[in-house]
Amino acid sequence: TVRPKNEVEQKQLCAFGEYVAEILPKYIQQVQVTCFNELELLIHPDGIIPVLTFLRDHTNAQFKSLADLTAVDVPSRQYRFEIVYNLLSLRFNSRIRVKTYTDELTPVDSAVSVYKAANWYEREVWDMYGVFFANHPDLRRILTDYGFEGHPFRKDFPLSGFVEV
Amino acid sequence: RLRILYTKILGVLQNIPKDAAYRKYTEQIVNQRFNLVQTETDVQKLQDKLNSGHIEEVIVQAENELSLARKMIQWKPWEPLVEEPPSDQWRWPI
Repeated sequence: TVRPKNEVEQKQLCAFGEYVAEILPKYIQQVQVTCFNELELLIHPDGIIPVLTFLRDHTNAQFKSLADLTAVDVPSRQYRFEIVYNLLSLRFNSRIRVKTYTDELTPVDSAVSVYKAANWYEREVWDMYGVFFANHPDLRRILTDYGFEGHPFRKDFPLSGFVEV
Repeated sequence: RLRILYTKILGVLQNIPKDAAYRKYTEQIVNQRFNLVQTETDVQKLQDKLNSGHIEEVIVQAENELSLARKMIQWKPWEPLVEEPPSDQWRWPI
């Protein structure tokens, strides 16, 4: 069985994506809508805080809730990591994804000033991937062991680790 | 109180250059809500007409909009793109 296509919702999401891209052309590089009716905004890393504050405060786009903050490692690219923010709007009941890129040594602006929930998520991304967040209060390891060296979720980290247990 | 907030927002929006899409759209929204607020004195009916939750929530939303407008003056997001991504950055599957 195949999921039935919801054309109306797809058109609405496309229209909203174009609206946002028209308002913020400085940072948004691409807007896409996946076939399962999910909207994604691809952003230059300098524009994280402006775009996130816009999505949180604007009347037409009240995305008050940060649902997820993750990173994706694609080692063959020049900018290795893709940072993904998933936002949820309570008033309009819709979700949006915001994606940024960075390489290993460039710090990224912290989203903690926009969403308080980003605190632990950013600590997790730092611990697991090694993406440094500037202006983050209290950035330290959260899931790995105390003397652990290395960043586990990277693609060049072996499955059973470097140290014998 | 909503009237004071909306007049403040409109004042801040005047500082943004005229051709920005952000200014157009926010002015539209704010003017709509402003007119509704001025014509309706009954709180219940105003809530129904605005159709976006309780009045306290509308006040909070207006305050957010005001702080956003102030930050937009600093960030200026209507300029053209800061930097193009490398060509294989957003290609999926790799």
